[in-house]
Amino acid sequence: MVIVMHEGATEAQIQHVIDRVVSSGFDVHRSTGASHTVLGAVGVHRDFDHRDFELLEGVREVVRITQPFKLASRQFKPQGTIIDLGRGVKIGGDEIVVAAGPCSVESPEQINAVAEAVSKTGARILRAGAFKPRTSPYAFQGLGEKGLQLIREAADKFKLFVVSEVMDLSQIEMMGQYVDIFQVGARNMQNYFLLRALGEIQKPVLLKRGMSATIEELLLSAEYILSGGNYNVILCERGIRTFETYLRNTLDIAAIPVIKKLSHLPIVADPSHGTGRRDKVPPMARAAVAAGADGLLIEVHNDPDHALSDGAQSLTPVEFAQLMTEIRIIAPAVGRRIP
Amino acid sequence: MNIADWRRRMDEIDKKLVDLLNERSQCALEIGRIKQEQGLPIYQPARENEVLCNAEGNNKGPLSHAAIRRLFERIIDEARSAERLAMHPDSSDEGSK
Repeated sequence: MVIVMHEGATEAQIQHVIDRVVSSGFDVHRSTGASHTVLGAVGVHRDFDHRDFELLEGVREVVRITQPFKLASRQFKPQGTIIDLGRGVKIGGDEIVVAAGPCSVESPEQINAVAEAVSKTGARILRAGAFKPRTSPYAFQGLGEKGLQLIREAADKFKLFVVSEVMDLSQIEMMGQYVDIFQVGARNMQNYFLLRALGEIQKPVLLKRGMSATIEELLLSAEYILSGGNYNVILCERGIRTFETYLRNTLDIAAIPVIKKLSHLPIVADPSHGTGRRDKVPPMARAAVAAGADGLLIEVHNDPDHALSDGAQSLTPVEFAQLMTEIRIIAPAVGRRIP
Repeated sequence: MNIADWRRRMDEIDKKLVDLLNERSQCALEIGRIKQEQGLPIYQPARENEVLCNAEGNNKGPLSHAAIRRLFERIIDEARSAERLAMHPDSSDEGSK
């Protein structure tokens, strides 16, 4: 931790800061500059909250050097985590794993049609929601456990794995019968009780970045799951809120290489929620693959114009097939492959 | 004298400096033990300031007072660390890493 004092900080203020650093058990390296005094605190623990020092009088800036996340950091596992789903499908390996499916399961016909279409063109995972907490409480809320049964049946029929969103810890046990990967939605990224509960199971967890969460906050949320003993965590960039309002969210493509450097966990991209517009999904999906994403989450609906939720961002099966053709060309350029 | 001669002279001075710095740290370790016994704080700003003023007072150049102060700030940092080690022998010497 480096503490930069204000220009004109008094000797008493500097001494007070040194006193706090020393009494916290750290060593201090003091450098008195022409205008600013800089204090280096050596031996600061990873979990030390440096913000306490920002509040001290005379302090201009506190810079933390060590990362606050430990188990999620790249140093903890330099070679990277590979999550083996079975049947040769591994997330974080050289294959880019694509999960596709409707925002929510609506009927057996719908989920079967989508599962068949996406499995034929290379998707490995069927994604669909059974619980749909929508911004409006009056919007379609999902089919619940019945929906999960339908997703599982459709996935098994076309040899797909299942990812579906868990909303609450009370659902974990029931959902465990139907899903291969638990998805934690953006709104639940900082639901620490849910994260802790998912740390106690062994099934993979796909953790979506909250729409206002920093990369560091996402990694700290992953740390909750990892610290419970579940090392099968997949991160997901799904767009963040920025001042730009043209699209629903701004897909932070740069987060992919940043996270690859900071963490050993696989990172996938969700350009459907990231843009909210069907025509913007393929370009952003291509960009995510080129940027090094380990996988994609794509919303596909057999009849998007009549979808009960998120129709505007869902691709048709034909559009999805076209996208798969394109990313199959891009993947080898970045040392990856798509089956 | 050529460069090699001056460097040899520097090497001799460095050897003396290392011995003197270690002798000084030995004093800090002793002080750390006494502070531990008497429950006194490691950080005593008035004393540190006195050390810096003495150093400047003894300075005849060509180093500036500011340069002497910066060098002694580092010496004091290490002395404080030595005192901490003397008071808490179980804590690691992070400063050396």
